[in-house]
Amino acid sequence: MSSDTIPVTVLTGFLGAGKTTLLNRILTEQHGRKLAVIENEFGEIGIDHQLVVQSDEELFEMNNGCICCSVRGDLIRILQRLLKRKDRLDGILIETTGLANPAPVAQTFFTDEEMRARFRLDAIITVVDARNAGRHLDAGDESVKQVAFADVILLNKTDLVAPAEVDALESRIRAINAVAHIHRTRECDLPLKEVLDVGGFNLERASEIDPKFLEPEYPFEWAGAYSLPAGTHELVIGHGEGEEAGHDHDHSHDHDHAHHHPHGNENELELVVMRVQSTDEKDWAPARDAAVLVYSDWEQRVAVGEPVAPGATLHRLMLKESRGTYPLKIAEAGLYMVFEQCGGDPLHILVAGETVKPDWQRDFHIAHEHTEDVTSVGIRQQGELDPKKLNEWVSELLRVRGADIYRMKGVLNVRGTPKRLVFQGVHMLFDAKFDREWGSDSRTSSLVFIGKNLDRTALTEAFKACLCS
Amino acid sequence: MQLTKHWAGALDDYAIDLAWSSEGSVLAAASASGPITLFTAADGQRRHELPGHEGGVNALAWRNSSVLASGGQDGQVKYWDPQAGSHVATTSLGRSWVEHLAWRPGDTGPELAAAAGRALTLIDGEGAIRHRFPDAPKTLSAIAWHPGGGCLACSCFGKVTLWDSDAYLVQKEFPYANGILALAWSTDGRWLVSGNQDPSVHLWVPEEDMELQMSGYETKVRHLDFDLTGRWLATGGGREACVWDCAGPGPEGREPRMLPHDAPVCALAYQNAHGLLATAAADGAVMLWSPERQQPLRATVKMPVAASRLAWAPDDGLLAIGTEKGAVYVLRCTA
Repeated sequence: MSSDTIPVTVLTGFLGAGKTTLLNRILTEQHGRKLAVIENEFGEIGIDHQLVVQSDEELFEMNNGCICCSVRGDLIRILQRLLKRKDRLDGILIETTGLANPAPVAQTFFTDEEMRARFRLDAIITVVDARNAGRHLDAGDESVKQVAFADVILLNKTDLVAPAEVDALESRIRAINAVAHIHRTRECDLPLKEVLDVGGFNLERASEIDPKFLEPEYPFEWAGAYSLPAGTHELVIGHGEGEEAGHDHDHSHDHDHAHHHPHGNENELELVVMRVQSTDEKDWAPARDAAVLVYSDWEQRVAVGEPVAPGATLHRLMLKESRGTYPLKIAEAGLYMVFEQCGGDPLHILVAGETVKPDWQRDFHIAHEHTEDVTSVGIRQQGELDPKKLNEWVSELLRVRGADIYRMKGVLNVRGTPKRLVFQGVHMLFDAKFDREWGSDSRTSSLVFIGKNLDRTALTEAFKACLCS
Repeated sequence: MQLTKHWAGALDDYAIDLAWSSEGSVLAAASASGPITLFTAADGQRRHELPGHEGGVNALAWRNSSVLASGGQDGQVKYWDPQAGSHVATTSLGRSWVEHLAWRPGDTGPELAAAAGRALTLIDGEGAIRHRFPDAPKTLSAIAWHPGGGCLACSCFGKVTLWDSDAYLVQKEFPYANGILALAWSTDGRWLVSGNQDPSVHLWVPEEDMELQMSGYETKVRHLDFDLTGRWLATGGGREACVWDCAGPGPEGREPRMLPHDAPVCALAYQNAHGLLATAAADGAVMLWSPERQQPLRATVKMPVAASRLAWAPDDGLLAIGTEKGAVYVLRCTA
């Protein structure tokens, strides 16, 4: 992408989330840069600025109103007028209304050749009001799309909400968009380098996908490793009588909204216990993978008072009023990992009546029971891809599912070239090119889809089918 | 054929529009940032500096040589007295930019059509609003008077509407499922043509209910102009100017004349009373063509920056070129 193109930053977010605050902050702090602002018809920038243009969001709907083929006509017109000046602008900020779908904005910069030549879409920034976001996401559609399309998400007004609620909201947003950079802010206060010149739509940076977000989803939310002597101990779920604050583990899902009991049953909790050698990743990762397998097995129902033991058994603890105590039988002293389905349930292990603290603990990205229609699917895969198969698959996928795939990006290992194939897409529009050589990097393909009703297994299998046979 | 420098002037910003007074003694040049300069055609003297519009000017239109109209980002149309260099009247049309202006042709008295956002308004010679048409469904992208003056065509995304400019009724509506960027009537009033986003040109013959679509352009088509006979239609939309033969049944099935540039064409203009076509490209080249000839290229000049605007003086002896950096060049065209 040539450097003489003008970067465009798009600000989305529901009414009252703080878009205008962020806009004012950018304009105030960007001394010496000539920025033009295209604000929505209700916009009210608080500071004097030479180049503020108000616009009503006018859709150009090609092909019978298909959203994948729509662009923002007002932006084409206004940006063309903004080009008519002797001195080049340093950047453009576009503030959309709370109800705007970001797709046509992005597509404007993909389809119109003049826009492509003169501007580059740098990033879509979505400002989320931590107080109301849950409700907006429940209500659906445009707010979900704004989160799904974002390169950067500001969880704003976090000072007005309990930390646990912010945690729950963040994991919910993360489930929708696994690749956006999420920042917690008060009054949109953050370093501007996090929102300007982000390169979210830059092919060179399409590869900057945090590998953490490519993790598969897990059937459990939390795991802790405990050093236990041989013997029969007590596994206690729920708050004990008269002790409200005695959680063993402190984690990010300790909130009502984050309970994911199967079938919504508050009195069932699934649990697996595995022995591990150490808390090194080389030891716990295989245990984790083994636990995933066990979780896919038939469960064994365990009533209060019945024993729990390490090994390949999926215990479904039958709680009473969200509580229960179970004998934990340990044949041999050692380190044991407990994988708990729902991190929201306090879990204690008592040895001789004394609570044992875990040596190690970790939260896992749980496979939500499709509470969100819009999700991210990340795929990492070794092996060379067959360019022909890949091309056929992507063409067919976008033809059939383009309306549901909001964004995708990735870096691919394609046969017959030392270079990485990087790509970036919005709905049916697609940009791909070879960038640098892999060099000493592991030639691992990684790609992310963000969209509606995505089938992780089907996408992964179809992608694997593109490997060279 | 030779193009020689007659004079040059400078504006403070991008030359967004140029317009010659009808007897050719004054060239009005608008800067994108706001002011309007009136140059004397004979020697390039700055006769007047008009303040123009806050936020910038978009369009200029002369009524004979007696009134200059301008439309701006401030949502206003202003009338100026070019002799005194003074402001005469202001008409406020609302918040939207006034992007297109055109005086009604013919001798029915002064009437200016102005497009601002979705609104199309007719303004009389004193600046009073004579009629405001119902709002279009989308922002108006172009307007063009039928040469007879009784009909005004306007376009927005999705359609072209022909208004009866006396009865204020819709004469015809032509749906078009894409963005329309420019409109032009042939000089004889037979053809109405749109330049489109898709990229293509679309031609209608309203009297005969005939329409044609000519596609295959490299980029969207923003520049259209007919020659004086109404037979030749010059279009931009890529690194070549493309000239269609609109005689009889029109261009369908006929090979257009392709006039090549090395960069995208950014302006074009036929002479008023003669057959030369001037084209300009983004690399600063300005070329003169006799498109119907075997060897069509007649002259080339290279400007330091790309032209934003081309305008022939009424007698076709001078070609004014506005540029992106604000320079205005007036070249003399001699055989």
